[in-house]
Amino acid sequence: MRALALIAFVAGCGGSLFQLTSVDNNRGELTTALAHRQLPAQPSPINAARVPRVFAVLGGPRKQIVAYDLAAGTLMWRQPADVASRICIGGSFVAELEGKQLVARDQATGAQTWHVDLDPSRDFVGLATDRDRAYLVWSEHGNGAIAAYDGASGKLLWHARADGVLGAPAAQGGVVYVPYASQWLSIIDGASGDQLARVRGIDEQISMLRATSTEAYFGSKQGVFVLDASAATGTRKDGSYASVAVPPQLEPTQYGPDAYDAVQSGYSANDRARILWSGSLAHAPYAVAYFRFVFGFDPHGTLVWAYSHPRTELVASADTGAAIVAISQTGDIVALDPKTGALRLDRAIGTSEPVLGATFDADGWTPPNAGETVETVEALVAIARDHDERFDRVKQLAVQALAQLPGGAVTRQLLDVLADPRAPDKLKDDVVELLVARKDPASLAVLAAQLATHDDYLAKTQPIALGPVAKAIAGLGGAKLDPAAVASALAALESHLDAPTTQIPDLVPVIDAMAAIGGGAERAELSAHLLLYHADDTLGGDPAWGRAIVGALENHGGPAERELLRAVATDPRTRPGLVAIVRDALTAD
Amino acid sequence: MRNRLAICLACALLSPAAAAPKPTALGEIVTALDGVDEDAAARSATALGDRTEPAAHEALLDALAWGLEPGVATAAIAALAKHPAPPDLALLRRYAGHHDVAVRSAALGALALYPDPIARNAIAQALRDPNATVRAAAAQAAVKGHVKAAIEPLFALLGLGEDEAAKALAAMADAELVRRIGDQLGKVPDPALASCLGLILQRADFGPDTERVEVVRALAKISDASATAALTDYVNATPANPPRASRAEAMKIVEARGAGK
Repeated sequence: MRALALIAFVAGCGGSLFQLTSVDNNRGELTTALAHRQLPAQPSPINAARVPRVFAVLGGPRKQIVAYDLAAGTLMWRQPADVASRICIGGSFVAELEGKQLVARDQATGAQTWHVDLDPSRDFVGLATDRDRAYLVWSEHGNGAIAAYDGASGKLLWHARADGVLGAPAAQGGVVYVPYASQWLSIIDGASGDQLARVRGIDEQISMLRATSTEAYFGSKQGVFVLDASAATGTRKDGSYASVAVPPQLEPTQYGPDAYDAVQSGYSANDRARILWSGSLAHAPYAVAYFRFVFGFDPHGTLVWAYSHPRTELVASADTGAAIVAISQTGDIVALDPKTGALRLDRAIGTSEPVLGATFDADGWTPPNAGETVETVEALVAIARDHDERFDRVKQLAVQALAQLPGGAVTRQLLDVLADPRAPDKLKDDVVELLVARKDPASLAVLAAQLATHDDYLAKTQPIALGPVAKAIAGLGGAKLDPAAVASALAALESHLDAPTTQIPDLVPVIDAMAAIGGGAERAELSAHLLLYHADDTLGGDPAWGRAIVGALENHGGPAERELLRAVATDPRTRPGLVAIVRDALTAD
Repeated sequence: MRNRLAICLACALLSPAAAAPKPTALGEIVTALDGVDEDAAARSATALGDRTEPAAHEALLDALAWGLEPGVATAAIAALAKHPAPPDLALLRRYAGHHDVAVRSAALGALALYPDPIARNAIAQALRDPNATVRAAAAQAAVKGHVKAAIEPLFALLGLGEDEAAKALAAMADAELVRRIGDQLGKVPDPALASCLGLILQRADFGPDTERVEVVRALAKISDASATAALTDYVNATPANPPRASRAEAMKIVEARGAGK
């Protein structure tokens, strides 16, 4: 293991590579710079063995790095290391900040091969590696600096300083990308330190970088550019730019770490809310990893699948191009089909210490298809029924997504949310609205079954969501319904119409529902109900009840019901407000 | 016109009634029943209940089918039940679900007079009513109508310590039911069980004395002071002669508990 020159020394000697005045957005230079990269023909891991791996930092009394072979499912090595940055993957080495040292380790064994001391007065900004080199960026008195080291030996290759701040770099195929002063992206030859091209963001800042084995992206919290020749325009309109729709319930979610945020130079909670994609984001499906959940969206932003990880959060995730891979706090590695969300792999790396963060080197990798089933409904239900209060807004998203799916089984699940005493009130309000808006004829039998529960002092039961369920049934008026389900629903509604404990706010939708689906079979019951209470102060004197029962008989009744209404209007015992409602209805007729 | 409509609407519930001509006096009563003066209407309902003509009963049915203010409905229901007839059942069952507690309770009391499964089921079901007044009315109706279907819910209510359930079970108890009540020791609150058993002992029609002895022994198993009080009440209320084994056993227990004096 070799200890190398102090960065404090090199920082004082490098030339000023980053200047405010320079040639920007030169398409020819950019094209040449991109062609300078040595990229694989197909997405593949960076490591020389081309084996998919994950390198995780474990917490506990003493931090450790664990290297895990994803393909073989085996632990490669485990080494104590006071990791203070992300782990960056080279061809035969990994590099990371440990305390105030840049440390390189043999990727096959984890043994430390070299280290460089970082002057305590310098602030670490970020680290990147390609197959052969490590690139370290730091800041000093508000100005940035970068140094490149040989990955195998740790030899200082070149260094440079900036007139202004630098962001955390990314590297790819012998080229290093360095954000500069939030406005520029410098593309530098990793071997020589020469600037090959520079992109200036015209429409938005450049504060995010992502490099896979074959693609590079830059952008900000607003959106992402593909780093291709069109990026020389610097504009969203003419660049390969995309900004995907992320549901507000999943905010704040980012395309990648903020290159200028010191906290995000290491693993942080920020990594648990990430947009995941491969290829051109403008035309491809994408996923959002959000703490314990992963949601898959089609290119139009429609949620198409969901995954809920049991109990623990997913601390790191990546899109390999063929799978969404993630690792949980407890060391469970999961791999999901990016198109369907099907769980292709769920395997523990075997550690009792908590996983603090991880870096995947698994481009192009996916576990073999094992005939796994897609469990999106179950996942959405699990999310909706989760009792973790931190995710109340995610639960809203889950019930919204559930409500888009047809069928009585989904309706049953939504009703179960209403019946859950621990579900948040706001969520229940949302479910009520969704049930009403759902208008799913196949759900009528399920809705009717929900009405089976009544006020029962001995059984200690009460109707659950009677009003909302009745509203949902009313929403089915005019739809083609199963006659048997209609008969069942009518009987259930009648039982609540006749129940002494049904309060007016629930009676109104019950009446509406009977009128909406009854097709005439409800008229006798509703007529009898009107007569029973037309002289009663409590119900007969309530305008909402009056409008409901009169409207039901007037709008859905025949001549006999209108004759009944006229007779009720002339009965001196009928409550005055009800008389007015009847007369208004008959006048409008 | 209104009456015809009401009868038409209730046609599924009521059997056709004989269209007997109404005497003038009856007509006046019916007119008052249909009026806006609630007190007069209630009095008219009561008066109709006292009449024996079928037309009086029909008028009550007609009025109830058309719908009445709660106060008048309560009186009309009580009047109707003075001459129970099968066509009443459907209407009474509907009123047993009325939003007004008094109306509901009156309907249950009336249903007790109808030996019909519909009536019995309605009474048994009302023991589950969230309103305590209605449950009490149902318990009393269960006794009045000897509603066996009410026994299980009454036991459940006894388990919740409801006095009316204790009274109802005590009133309905025969030898077999006494044994079931005794078996509730530890399952229902001691005071409720003691109250129930004590009320059985107070029944003059309960016997023979060997059965009373069983009740006394069941009370003896209850350590709560309410059991001692029930036994004391029994001893005090029962003449010493002719001698009763149940009284003697009760006295022994009371004395053993130091509450005899």
